[in-house]
Amino acid sequence: MDNRILSIENLSIEYSNIRGKVKAVRNVRLDLYKGESLAVIGESGSGKTTLGTAIIRLLPSSGYIKEGKIIYRGNEKEYNIAQFNESELRQFRWKEIAMVFQSALNSFNPVLKIWDQVLDTAKAHGLNNKSIVREKAMDLLRFVQLDPERVINSYPHELSGGMRQRVLIALSLILEPKILILDEPTTALDILTQRNIIELLRIIKKDMGLSMIFISHDLSLAAELADRVATMYAGAIVELGSVNDIFYHPRHPYTLGLIKAVPTVSSSFRELYSIPGSPPDLINLTPGCKFYPRCEYRTKGCEEAEPTLVEITPGHFVACLREGDIADGR
Amino acid sequence: MNWKHLLKSIFIEPLILISRDRAGLIGFIILLSILLMSFIGPYFIKLDTIVKLDQIYQFPSRAHILGTDNQGRDIFSQIVNGGKDVIVVAFLAGLISTLIAVSLGALSAYAGGFTDTVIMFITEIILTIPQFPLLAVLSAFIRLTNPTMLALIIGFLGWPALARAIRAQVLSIRERDYIEAARVLDLGRWHIIFSEILPNMLSYIVISLIMAMTGAVYSQVGLIILGLVPFYGHNWGLMIQLAWTRGAIFYKGSIFYILSPIIAIALFQWSAVTFTRSLEGIFNPRLRIGE
Amino acid sequence: MIRVKRLFSNYIFTRIVRAILTIFIVATLTFFIVRLMPGNPVEIYIGQLISQYGMSFQDAKNQAAALFSINLDAPLYEQYLYYMRNLLRGDFGMSFLSQGTPVSTMITAYLPWTIFSVGISILISFSLGIILGMIAAYRRGGLFDHIISTIAAILSAIPNYLIGILLLIIIGVQLGLIPVSAMRGTVSPGVTPGFNLEFIKDIFSHALLPILTYVVSTVGGWTLSMKSSTLNTLGEDYVTVAKARGLSEMRITFSYVGRNALLPLFTSLTMQMGFLMGGSALIESIFVYKGIGWALGASIAQRDYPVMQAVFLIITIAVIVANFIADLFYSKLDPRIKVGGE
Repeated sequence: MDNRILSIENLSIEYSNIRGKVKAVRNVRLDLYKGESLAVIGESGSGKTTLGTAIIRLLPSSGYIKEGKIIYRGNEKEYNIAQFNESELRQFRWKEIAMVFQSALNSFNPVLKIWDQVLDTAKAHGLNNKSIVREKAMDLLRFVQLDPERVINSYPHELSGGMRQRVLIALSLILEPKILILDEPTTALDILTQRNIIELLRIIKKDMGLSMIFISHDLSLAAELADRVATMYAGAIVELGSVNDIFYHPRHPYTLGLIKAVPTVSSSFRELYSIPGSPPDLINLTPGCKFYPRCEYRTKGCEEAEPTLVEITPGHFVACLREGDIADGR
Repeated sequence: MNWKHLLKSIFIEPLILISRDRAGLIGFIILLSILLMSFIGPYFIKLDTIVKLDQIYQFPSRAHILGTDNQGRDIFSQIVNGGKDVIVVAFLAGLISTLIAVSLGALSAYAGGFTDTVIMFITEIILTIPQFPLLAVLSAFIRLTNPTMLALIIGFLGWPALARAIRAQVLSIRERDYIEAARVLDLGRWHIIFSEILPNMLSYIVISLIMAMTGAVYSQVGLIILGLVPFYGHNWGLMIQLAWTRGAIFYKGSIFYILSPIIAIALFQWSAVTFTRSLEGIFNPRLRIGE
Repeated sequence: MIRVKRLFSNYIFTRIVRAILTIFIVATLTFFIVRLMPGNPVEIYIGQLISQYGMSFQDAKNQAAALFSINLDAPLYEQYLYYMRNLLRGDFGMSFLSQGTPVSTMITAYLPWTIFSVGISILISFSLGIILGMIAAYRRGGLFDHIISTIAAILSAIPNYLIGILLLIIIGVQLGLIPVSAMRGTVSPGVTPGFNLEFIKDIFSHALLPILTYVVSTVGGWTLSMKSSTLNTLGEDYVTVAKARGLSEMRITFSYVGRNALLPLFTSLTMQMGFLMGGSALIESIFVYKGIGWALGASIAQRDYPVMQAVFLIITIAVIVANFIADLFYSKLDPRIKVGGE
């Protein structure tokens, strides 16, 4: 039996822009196994958010799937999300796959109470029994450690940012989706709230058996919550492996750079590291490896052809010509 | 303060960008044409004041492009000569409004606290009073003897609408770093307002000026039509007023006489507004459509 | 519960206080303009009576005092108090021209027509504008958008009284669709007022051209505002999240986009009411529609100062009250208003 609940095959996504076509996601191949947490890590412009929103087909109007498949295996059937029509998408969203967006600060309709928005969601998927929906909602609010009575009758502006994030997470679980995608769930929150949210996500991971995808630029999030990590650069996955592989045996210069850039409590200012340069122009891409201009390990061969993902140890894939030379750690 | 750079960014660049925005370009051309016609035209086309009773309400012909009025006078010459007074008064009034609005709005935003509260309170009060009735009533009390007086009272009543917007704009600039730097260097309040904040709002101020002008045209022509501005020689508003009081509106043949000034005024207003809108789009790229 | 009440009264309270204060200031200003300005109407009137009718100064003064509803012998501040007290009692003095007619009678005769025509116009214009604006936003860049936006821009640039004249010419004169002279006034002579069909038809037919003028001159502005507001709202996060939640297009359009896009337009609503009441002076004059605006125009033309003064004050009060009602409405629609006052 296929253990993969989601398979992204050769997915390419582009945006139309006055200056040309932005190749935001380029020929990505990625699987999500049932019950696992996968982190997609990359900086701004790496394509990770585009990838996430594409899974539920919520790209902005200028974006489109150029080619590829998004296979979802649920309810004992196989679906290609990339080919869903509007009506299928509406039924599918939130019920099978729910996505919690970055910064829930503005994720709620300001003129409706939380309860109304919960009911909206339930009704849209055929759950019309108000008392059942209310009971479920209250349970979930309690689960995310909020006072249900107070929150459910509030307007969004009456809740703090952290509270809104929890409510959104609770709401995302109300239809019992199989997959939960979280895009930057802790960015724009203060450190204490971040900690709370991470703990909450850990509990969800343990207790609910959901498959989760975390999208972030924050490596520490991956370290805390992920089973596997994929690093993305310039629209492609450059390294993929278990969380141990990535953190203790990184083999791609970019991954290495990301790890080195995270300051530790004990490091001094002089030791702060950041990857030199900036992300490439996704409209006019140079041939060869896209990380080349910023790479410490670049050689002549890197400019000619873009490296593809190669399995170097079981489950650990790298797209780099020089992966063999890259030492572990710092 | 690099003046060459400032001039370039105010005049040259916007012109280049306007040419890309079709509506803005048309607005600009029409506006320019009207201005040229009203200020330079009169030197070439003199106002036809000769009464020719055998040529009343003629249809447009080669001799009279827009026909003739109820006394046989050429309408086209009246249109060419009719814009100057209106536009000059509108410009003066707009200038006064903008100057007051900018000073008070900037002061209010920059000083904050009690000054802000007081100025905004006064602004609110004046804003609530309907502007046109106030102007009409004032014109009955104050003897309006010359264009400057007219421009003055329109100008003095028009600033509150702008002041609020200016204040909002200054508030957003005030928080920027270079203002903070100037403050730390203790450069003095008025100096900061005039040398640091306002130059960055120059485009906004120009737009406010044009909008104030269109408002002044509205008030001015309205007053003229009601017959409350007795001193004028000849202008578009007066043409409409004459047509109305002489019942020309109700006469089918006089349609060119009444339509010409209306279209002239409407074109002026529309082209000014459209031009301003595209200027807004230029100076505030986020508003640009289609990108 | 108590907390909500306190906050609620805070917002409303502020608005009430401000409204009353403004009315007070305007009434005061009107008084001082009438009494203190050089060449003020009271002096002129007394002078006229003396020179034209050979009245004695005392008689002229008494007549002026009666007409203007002020006591000319008392010191200024007493006159002022007397004036304010009369105002509160609804005594605005007597009309110059229609001797013996209290101004308050005239106001009650004319004001309702203006409120009727302007009120209906705003309702129609606003409703039509927001619908067109939303459609234009949803079909941005399409043919509908281009046509509607262009027409809207043109219409909103032309002064509303000129649109009135144009409508009069086109519909009334050139096309002869409406018997213009019979359309003067607010009601045809001989029609009995009341809730009967004939009366309602009659007042609407008389109000048709003014209403059409107001609507045509303002609908463009509403359309463009709503279009811009809708476009902004469509970019908000909660709309994207609503789609991610699988909500229907209908629900999203009305309750998520529509309601939020509407809110910013309410500030313009208050400004527009003031503007239309102001414009009524011209528009009602053009159509000879006997509302308060027409009364203002007529009284200015005839230098009937007591009427002028009172009508101006009434127009301002009407605008303030209308703004207040609009503010109340807005506070009901936007839950964020209740918290913390403003």
